[in-house]
Amino acid sequence: MLDIKNLSASVGGAEILHDLSLSVGTGEVHAIMGPNGSGKSTLAQVIAGRDDYEVTGGSVTLDGEDLLDLDPEERAREGVFLGFQYPVEIPGVNNAYLLKAAVNAQRAHRGLDEIDAFEFLKLAKEKMALLGMDQKFLNRGVNEGFSGGEKKRNEILQMAMLEPRLAILDETDSGLDIDALKAVAHGVNALRSPERSIVLVTHYQRLLDYIQPDHVHVLSGGKIVRSGDKTLATELEERGYDWLKEAANG
Amino acid sequence: MSNSDKLRSAAEQLGPDGLSDLRSRAAENFGTTGFPTTRMEDWKYTDLSIASDISVAALDDFRVDLPPSYEIPDIEAHWLIISNGSPQVGGLSAIDGVDIALLSEADVDLQFDLPLADLNLALLSDGLKLTVNAGVNVDKPVGLLFFDDADTDSLVSQGRVIIDVQKGASVQVIEFHTTRGDARKYANVFVDLNIEDNARVDYARLQARDLSAVQTARLSVAAGRDATLRHFALDTGGKLVRNDLVIDIAKTGADVEFNGLYLADAGQHVDNHTRVDHRVGPAHSKQEYRGIIKGRAVWNGKAVVHEGADGTDAQQANHNLLMSERAEINAKPELEIYAEDVKCSHGTTVGQLDENAVFYLRTRCLDEEQARRLMTHAFAMGVAHRCPIDACTTWVDSHVEDALNALVAEDAK
Repeated sequence: MLDIKNLSASVGGAEILHDLSLSVGTGEVHAIMGPNGSGKSTLAQVIAGRDDYEVTGGSVTLDGEDLLDLDPEERAREGVFLGFQYPVEIPGVNNAYLLKAAVNAQRAHRGLDEIDAFEFLKLAKEKMALLGMDQKFLNRGVNEGFSGGEKKRNEILQMAMLEPRLAILDETDSGLDIDALKAVAHGVNALRSPERSIVLVTHYQRLLDYIQPDHVHVLSGGKIVRSGDKTLATELEERGYDWLKEAANG
Repeated sequence: MSNSDKLRSAAEQLGPDGLSDLRSRAAENFGTTGFPTTRMEDWKYTDLSIASDISVAALDDFRVDLPPSYEIPDIEAHWLIISNGSPQVGGLSAIDGVDIALLSEADVDLQFDLPLADLNLALLSDGLKLTVNAGVNVDKPVGLLFFDDADTDSLVSQGRVIIDVQKGASVQVIEFHTTRGDARKYANVFVDLNIEDNARVDYARLQARDLSAVQTARLSVAAGRDATLRHFALDTGGKLVRNDLVIDIAKTGADVEFNGLYLADAGQHVDNHTRVDHRVGPAHSKQEYRGIIKGRAVWNGKAVVHEGADGTDAQQANHNLLMSERAEINAKPELEIYAEDVKCSHGTTVGQLDENAVFYLRTRCLDEEQARRLMTHAFAMGVAHRCPIDACTTWVDSHVEDALNALVAEDAK
């Protein structure tokens, strides 16, 4: 599914990712953990196509197709979804309008007709019920005045509507109380499927209690310093990150 | 003949009628003062030399008998037509509860304190006086259509309307400005609105002149006790536009809210000056103007809270989106407070679209142009949706969308 080979990326001349390689198989859930400033969010943004970062080497492919050549919207239409750490508030842009425009842009890319208004509403309501979201959110401005938990649920709602091949969820657990965390995890788990790969970017092991990953990687200093199964996350929770940083430097 | 002589002669040609004396006095005054210049603080950023050029050219071949020409906008209202500066008496329809008179036949007191008001009177063929009778709730909006049509010769037109909304009455007023024809046009429009005690006015000033037109317009409002005003102003047209909205609150309990949206494409200059005088309190005023600018714009919002006007609540906001590196805005909020117990606020922002939001929308499958368009539209509609007259909503929505598309589309070139 996702193949990252020897990826290096910098911002403002400072290299953040160094020669990073990672493979995520179809249907797998991977967790990328690491201390603050290790490059986790940069990796997520580079995959989604943010042009603030300059890719200085390496490749990123999705089912063999080069992603780095594509604009962010082309990647999204091809099935890459980025759940933002800080979802953006867009006053005046109606949530339902955005969801529908997004779904239709993706459908047009696949050569399908626009979604019927009735079908759209039915689908949106179904997905919102899954996430325990009130329908009134459809008619509000995108993330406008939403609480932290509401914003993260809204991200997962967008993911549920777009049904991506690859979802990268950046710090989806940050700023959530336990109920919101459970609701978000429930939504993500419901979207697990043999055709869909999910990459969870997280600082803490907490999220992984609710979404069990197949693989765990530790990112430090812009590269992956250790990979393992879910027991690695538990080990990190007990020992912190410092021993790995030392191991990487030594 | 000097320009002053030409003005005097034109003023004479418009009579004789009930306005003759006023015209000649005004022509004398304007002959002395002339147009405001950029040396004056209030006109620092708006140069009227083009208005002067058009006026001089129009006076060279002054005609009092221009044929009427107009096209009614697609907005449901009682339309009153002022074509090339002349009220069309034949087109005046009766409106229940509203008395309509020509200024030349009405007993009115017209001011002489501003050069542009003098110019307006000197060249005024006639104006309208509307009286909304006490307690009347007018069934549908009253539309004032200012329509200027000139194909070859430069046109200068004056519009003057006095609206008196008597106690407890309620009315919606649409002031609609548009043009036809390729010749240069300068329109100078004055409206006086007197809202008596407990009366309510919803007002929309919609300006969609052609891109070579020049406009100076002034709306003066006197708000009575517990009077209510909801005002919305839209400017999409004009090469050079200057609007003054002046509100005087001399009785307690007034509640005025005025919002505006201006679009200035490359080559356009749009200037909005607002002023509210809070002479007594408690009273409430609130304004928000938003601009989307590729050319030049000016916003100057002044609120004066006079001594003793305790309990005043005055808020003003102005937000601007600059769409080009050559776009220019001169934004100036001014609060002058001489009272003790007041609540006042102002905020001005100037910026570009939030790139983080553009990226966010792109990760949701929207292409870049679609994302920018959506955000610009949302910014505009945030204030356009406050137009207080439902009958205008469809027109405003589609007109703003067209104007925005034209403004954004040029980026692609």
